[in-house]
Amino acid sequence: MVSDKVAVKRRFRLSEGILSILPVLVVLIFMRFYPMVAAIYRSFTNWDGLYRSDWIGLANYVQIFTNSPFWKLLRNSLILLTTVPLQLMIGLFVAVLLYEEVKGWRFFRTIIYLPQIISAVTIGYLFRVAFSLDGPVNLVLRKIGLEFLANEWLGNTGTALGVLVFCLTWFSIGWQAIVILGGMSKISPEVFEAARMDGANYWQRTFFVVIPMISRTIEYAVIMSMVWTLTSVFAFIFSITAGGPGYETSTLDYMIYRKFYQAGAPYGSASAFAVILLIIILVFTVVEMRVANKASEWE
Amino acid sequence: MLAKVNQKLSGALVFLVLLVLSITNLYPFFYMFLNSVKSRTDYFVNPFSVRGLELTWDNYRTMISQFKILNLFGNSFFISFFTILLLLCLGIVASYAFAKLRFKGKEVIYLLIISTMFIPVQATIIPLYVFFSRLDLVNTGWSVIFIYVGMFIPEVILLMTSGFRGIPDELIEAAKLDGAGYFDVIRYVIIPMGRPSIILCIIFYFIVTWNDLFAPMILLQSMDKRTVMVALAALLSRYSGDPTFQFAGLVLASIPAILVYVFFQRYIVKGISLGATK
Repeated sequence: MVSDKVAVKRRFRLSEGILSILPVLVVLIFMRFYPMVAAIYRSFTNWDGLYRSDWIGLANYVQIFTNSPFWKLLRNSLILLTTVPLQLMIGLFVAVLLYEEVKGWRFFRTIIYLPQIISAVTIGYLFRVAFSLDGPVNLVLRKIGLEFLANEWLGNTGTALGVLVFCLTWFSIGWQAIVILGGMSKISPEVFEAARMDGANYWQRTFFVVIPMISRTIEYAVIMSMVWTLTSVFAFIFSITAGGPGYETSTLDYMIYRKFYQAGAPYGSASAFAVILLIIILVFTVVEMRVANKASEWE
Repeated sequence: MLAKVNQKLSGALVFLVLLVLSITNLYPFFYMFLNSVKSRTDYFVNPFSVRGLELTWDNYRTMISQFKILNLFGNSFFISFFTILLLLCLGIVASYAFAKLRFKGKEVIYLLIISTMFIPVQATIIPLYVFFSRLDLVNTGWSVIFIYVGMFIPEVILLMTSGFRGIPDELIEAAKLDGAGYFDVIRYVIIPMGRPSIILCIIFYFIVTWNDLFAPMILLQSMDKRTVMVALAALLSRYSGDPTFQFAGLVLASIPAILVYVFFQRYIVKGISLGATK
């Protein structure tokens, strides 16, 4: 009798847990799993979003690898990834400065994080204006006699990608700095004092004290910003270069957007791009899962 | 003595570097505001000049009267509000379960949910678009809201679960002994005790949803349903546009997120150093 009651109670508790997460699972199944599986299936068809959806095997993939700007898109994504070490280094530098808690450091922290609050649409437009032919950057270059440097920044592949990397780095420094500062706040101040007493200078403190002690935070920051760069820079590209000239600054995820509006609705081919993007992200996610196992250690 | 001078000197140097960095962060926004209150001709004469500036609010007036930016604000608020509401309803309950209840497969399900964070929305957008067009939800805020909830719920759970883990079990047990049911525990223990992480979610996802472009751009194509960012992005992509007018729109669109940041920034800084959001 008593054990029955316990059993009933335990069963209720069990379902209480499951019931609590059920709504989330339903949302995720409809909004994430279903469309992902649908994209994988449609990537083997000539789907147009309506009724045409014939199985065409690997034709979309063959076409992408042989006769599409795919390699250019991949190149662009990889070039944009150079923002990760840049933002990490500058973010680390800023975090170490903020850690000194000089007068007004809270205000500086607020300002350094500010770009993250502003929409990518706004930031992208500011960069487009800044680097336009008669924009502020060229105006200043002409004024200080460096006219030979002034050029059509967004019209050439190299400089346009450079502007994008610059923009993404500028945007993310604040995020990196705050994340690293959070990691540093767990280091006990005595360690710094001891290092200072031993005569360690700024660079020595940074490289031999800070970096080793926040390796986990750095790992987290690197993975998050890599995945972010591969998946979340659409609005920046859209508002700075719109992926152009040609496909020179389009990335894999940007291509899906372009395919969406392309004549003839090549949604099958767009889905194949989606699958390729997913596979690339999956490689990162496998690494990420390893880190997520340590989620409790970040807290 | 020498060490003290040295320390003061390095302190001043740090201050100076931070000051320069802050100016590089602030100047673009100053430039945007400065030129939004200029006339088009003044802008093309010299975009940097502040001298002899004749302030004009014409750009802002046109933004409100012609561009109807306040209606667009309404659309954006609608989406942000219901996204946050749903995220909280689903997130609080689920995070309570992950933080405090015991059930089979908890760890696996948790990891599975968190890992969906890394599915890029671009990869799923076309099937979702077709899905919503069958339900007749394209060109309504709801399609965007549901996509957002799917996109952001893993991060919300990550954040809230770590916040709720800090709530002492004794409080929950005591409430249960007093006869509190499932929803009483959530209402009288979890929500008040887990307030910091809940507030962080509200603020953070307000800023994120307010600023986002991709999903609403795909799903909201009719003029009167667009969010403020979608409408501005369309306006900006016309190269022939008037920059001073466009700056005015961007300044207006930035205000809500900046206000939220200024008032609640301590929560944001804390949340990011917890390491859960990007």
